[in-house]
Amino acid sequence: MNLRKLAWKNLLRRKSRAVFTGLGIFLGIATFVAISSITSQMEGAVQDQLDRFGANIVVSPRAEQFSLGFGNIALGGAEVAHSRLTMADKERIASIHHKDRIRSIVPFLMTAADASGKNLVWMGLPAAAVAEARPWWKIRGGTGPKRGEVLLGAEAAARLDKGPGGTVTGGKRLFRVAGVLSPTGEKEDGMVIADIADVQALAGTPGAVTYFEVAALCKDCPVEQIVDQIGQALPAARVSAIRQVVESRKAAVDQLRRLGLGVSAIVLLIGGLMVLVTVMGGVQERTREIGVLRAVGFRKRSIFSLLFWETGWVSLLSSLLGAGTGIAVAYLASPVFGIEHPSIVFPPAILGAVAGLSLGLIGAIPPARRAAALSPTEAIRSL
Amino acid sequence: MEPIIRLKDVSMVYGGNGTRATALAGVSFDVRPGEYVVITGESGAGKSTLLTILGGLQVPTGGAVRIGGADLSRLPADGLADFRRGTIGFVFQAYHLLPYLTARENVMVPMSPERMSPREKASTADALLASVGLAGKEDRLPSQLSGGESQRVAIARALVHDPPVLLADEPTGNLDSATGEQILDLFSRWHGRGKTVLMVTHNKANLARATRSIRLRDGRVEEDRVVRPLSAQPLAV
Repeated sequence: MNLRKLAWKNLLRRKSRAVFTGLGIFLGIATFVAISSITSQMEGAVQDQLDRFGANIVVSPRAEQFSLGFGNIALGGAEVAHSRLTMADKERIASIHHKDRIRSIVPFLMTAADASGKNLVWMGLPAAAVAEARPWWKIRGGTGPKRGEVLLGAEAAARLDKGPGGTVTGGKRLFRVAGVLSPTGEKEDGMVIADIADVQALAGTPGAVTYFEVAALCKDCPVEQIVDQIGQALPAARVSAIRQVVESRKAAVDQLRRLGLGVSAIVLLIGGLMVLVTVMGGVQERTREIGVLRAVGFRKRSIFSLLFWETGWVSLLSSLLGAGTGIAVAYLASPVFGIEHPSIVFPPAILGAVAGLSLGLIGAIPPARRAAALSPTEAIRSL
Repeated sequence: MEPIIRLKDVSMVYGGNGTRATALAGVSFDVRPGEYVVITGESGAGKSTLLTILGGLQVPTGGAVRIGGADLSRLPADGLADFRRGTIGFVFQAYHLLPYLTARENVMVPMSPERMSPREKASTADALLASVGLAGKEDRLPSQLSGGESQRVAIARALVHDPPVLLADEPTGNLDSATGEQILDLFSRWHGRGKTVLMVTHNKANLARATRSIRLRDGRVEEDRVVRPLSAQPLAV
């Protein structure tokens, strides 16, 4: 028999009180762990989406808008580029200081040209980069285009009445239709997609590039620094980070996280108060027992330790149980929050267990001090 | 022989302005080692207050108490706790066993804060339970023990640290006469082994086993007489 066992035995005697004492901590920790795990996985999912999105930086020629008008009559405007981009600029981008953070640089050339008698926009990009640059494309009838082949957007295929295996003329060349894109809802639905060298030849602008899409490694990626460095490497280019979508999604996740932390904090506060109130009530009920312990020679410190151990046991068990429940809830609820591959996130569980134990012990300090300070006379009077 | 207990003008006044109640008013006596003192008196005479002062559970409002050479009024709280653990064994009328612990565990309670091996604590408890006639009942809960057996457990608990002084507050008050006699036999046995016993009681039959009787009245010693000379052999049990 030692103080730990004495505390444990007393808990077993008052099971319902022990359960009630630990309930607040259990709920608070379970809430905290579940929400933290879910938001953490949601952040990972946002990052995955960004990675799947591919590029997060676009490099295009710097251009100026000129409005045309006569008197009060507006005649529209024109965008005049300061310079053109070329394939050689890819090397300049690849030579920046943070070059090790750059996963891919994909040049695009857009041009309007004849396609089997219809005037369509041709999109050129390296044939080998299609899968990486547009991972969301679903191609019916085949894979990406090789040299001499094209992919047709869904609307373009309908306008040309062509399908996989068919042919399209461009300029004086004949291109085989390698596949047709499922509708994307974007402008590429109306485009003909081919290897950039073919499109450059078709446009008669060898080496020309309309814009580059740059994919930087995203986790904790210094996008702003990379943008600055590319801007310095290509002073005549406009370099933009595609962040809005990701930032807004992250903001939503952050809001959810803050809400979760707020709810957890409130539940934990209530849990701490429950510990304080129930243990304080327990001290009053146990005045006689404390009197006996003082009479047989327990020091104040031993009484304090006894109460502390009791609450420590409850807090430890309810924290561990809460952390386990939180993990399970997060795992099961992940699909509801759009997490396709749920995983167990341990840091919130460890943090939650430590926080629950600490909170329980802090909540036990006032009643334990009160019990220790109980005068032996007052305690013994009840004997 | 140097007294083991010395009380000098001990007084105890409860309450404050307007509600003062005097429990003890100038009590003085000495107790020599090995005495068996029975303290009697009517309800409110100050018997229990005297016992709690002797046990270091409360400090008198006046006078001095020395037990085993220690001046209780000068001891800090932890010093008083150490004094109780090493010098005093308490036995209460209502046993006050912890209901969720077995007989063995109840006896082990005073050893809980100590750094002894669980096996050592258990063997000490078992030996004490055997000495009070409870061998084989170590694992029973208080609810599975009779009143007399519970009081035996309480006595075993009081003896854990082999204290030189046993204080008992009406130890037979909740027992029938036959069982009460058995409990008194235990006190006599431990008195025979050199313990100093102070027992508060209403039962005048307990006087037969004592070496000395002190009667209190209104917080004062009304009578202090020797029942048997201390040099005489203790009653055989």
